[in-house]
Amino acid sequence: MMHLPPTRAGHLARALSATAILLFLAMPIVIILVTSFGADGIGTFPPKEYSTHWYEQMAAPGGNWATSIALSSLIAALTTVFSLILGATAATALARGRLPLHTAVYGLVLAPLLIPQVVIALGLFLFFEPAGLLGSPLAIALGHTVLAAPIAILIMISTLKAIDERLEDAAASMGASRMTIARRITFPLATPGLIAAAVFSFITSFDEFFIAQFMSTPDTRTLPVLVFNALQFDVDPTVTAVSAVLIALAILALALVTLVRKLSGHRSQQGGVLPVEPLT
Amino acid sequence: MAGTALAPGKVRVKKTSAMRGHRSRLALVNAVPVTVFLLVLFVYPIIGVLSLSLKGDSGGFTLHWYADALSGVNLSVLLSTLRISAETAVLSLLVGFVLAHAIARMRPVFAALAMLIVVVPHFISALVRTYGWIIMLGEHGLINSLATSVHAPGAPYSLLYNETGVVIGTTSVMLPYTVLVLQGVMRGVDGRLLAAAAGFGASRLTIFRRIYLPLVAPGIGTAGLLSFILCLGYYITPALMGGDKQTVVAALIDQQVMKQDQWNSAAAFGVILLLLTFAGLGVLGLAKLRRTKAHARRSSS
Repeated sequence: MMHLPPTRAGHLARALSATAILLFLAMPIVIILVTSFGADGIGTFPPKEYSTHWYEQMAAPGGNWATSIALSSLIAALTTVFSLILGATAATALARGRLPLHTAVYGLVLAPLLIPQVVIALGLFLFFEPAGLLGSPLAIALGHTVLAAPIAILIMISTLKAIDERLEDAAASMGASRMTIARRITFPLATPGLIAAAVFSFITSFDEFFIAQFMSTPDTRTLPVLVFNALQFDVDPTVTAVSAVLIALAILALALVTLVRKLSGHRSQQGGVLPVEPLT
Repeated sequence: MAGTALAPGKVRVKKTSAMRGHRSRLALVNAVPVTVFLLVLFVYPIIGVLSLSLKGDSGGFTLHWYADALSGVNLSVLLSTLRISAETAVLSLLVGFVLAHAIARMRPVFAALAMLIVVVPHFISALVRTYGWIIMLGEHGLINSLATSVHAPGAPYSLLYNETGVVIGTTSVMLPYTVLVLQGVMRGVDGRLLAAAAGFGASRLTIFRRIYLPLVAPGIGTAGLLSFILCLGYYITPALMGGDKQTVVAALIDQQVMKQDQWNSAAAFGVILLLLTFAGLGVLGLAKLRRTKAHARRSSS
């Protein structure tokens, strides 16, 4: 109902309801951040005393938390490498080339984002279990790539589509080889997209719970699996500090992507940070 | 290229057939890695789930696992999953509509800020957000201490470890999707249509009901179905905020694999989830097809 002159009551009602809903979205995050500095442990808000005790406990070398943070980082780094390779090639095929079976390949790429993750996780469990690969960081990273690569591909397709192909054509008409064009023109222009794809792949893997849960063993538990267990079974207040670090990581990643896009002069639309808007 | 008059901004190097051939070869080669990867680690494992769900204890074909999944306690878990998903879809649609509508009328600065608050949580682990809700909704959590301090009737409320808690949590997870989809449709509404109706003397309610709502209806359908589908296999929030009883199918699958070694039964549940998802996607696809056809008919006549 844009463009109709607002009534005062309608304006007030809209402002109030929007504020309430935005609070609904933001409150759980604010609460975690504040609680993580509370001295009195789980579940009391606001805390009566403040301390950094849980952060010290989380970082304690050799502890469960430090070990799983290292494991999750390794898996996320591997996932990022795999999805960038798959993303760059697939996006080149889908955005630039005349690909026979274009729709089929595109559908295959989108499917992992829509199929229930529990089904994917179960399938991967059945796939890796007989080979004795449960708990292998490489196998978990391959599993995470099933979810991360589609996101990387979607980001890179939109990046490639935004590059003016006439620049490449012009270079070609002046005698540049395909390698030179890729290296000197396409790659520099696509760098912001590559960085965004890398960041989102890393976060997707670092936060992923279901596949890691099905493919982990008691010795190899990723951070989300450990957090889930802590929330379900124990009452280890360290989990508040871990959660706060995960929040900080997500916000940092988003800030990085936004900054890179700003610096490269990319004009993003509203909500353009969200790479996945399926079926619209 | 001499002698060819080209409009400025439309200069293109004419592509030779050799270049075109190169392009399709290039595309084929580049499509190979992702296709092979997804066929091996996505399609093949899901076929594995399907075949396991049809395999009897001694190896032959059986529908036993489906019969088992669709009876007794298992059926009630399936039904409560569908109920929770439907409740979440309706709630996040209502809340999402109000918010998207408000954002559409905000000044650009506030609209951008609001969209940031919608999008940022989406990138924060659902585990962490669920934990935030657990702290907030507990017996001594923020909501209940507020309600008690103002002497609200019936306080403290039990908001955790029951379906109310689960639906609050899942709604907050699905809300970014509905807001984004609805935002997209609302931005596309031509304001002149509304102004024209107002010019003919239509009341606000009539304009909303007869013009605005039909125009954004496709977005409402997409957003609702999308959150329903995404909810079907969702696990984290129901597992942590639900009661002692198993409440959703995904939790049941996890339990059957991890604790009971009932892989066949887990596979049957997986296939049922898959079929429900396909049904939802099918409805979405059909609706889109019908709109495209209607649009084509309108613009050709």
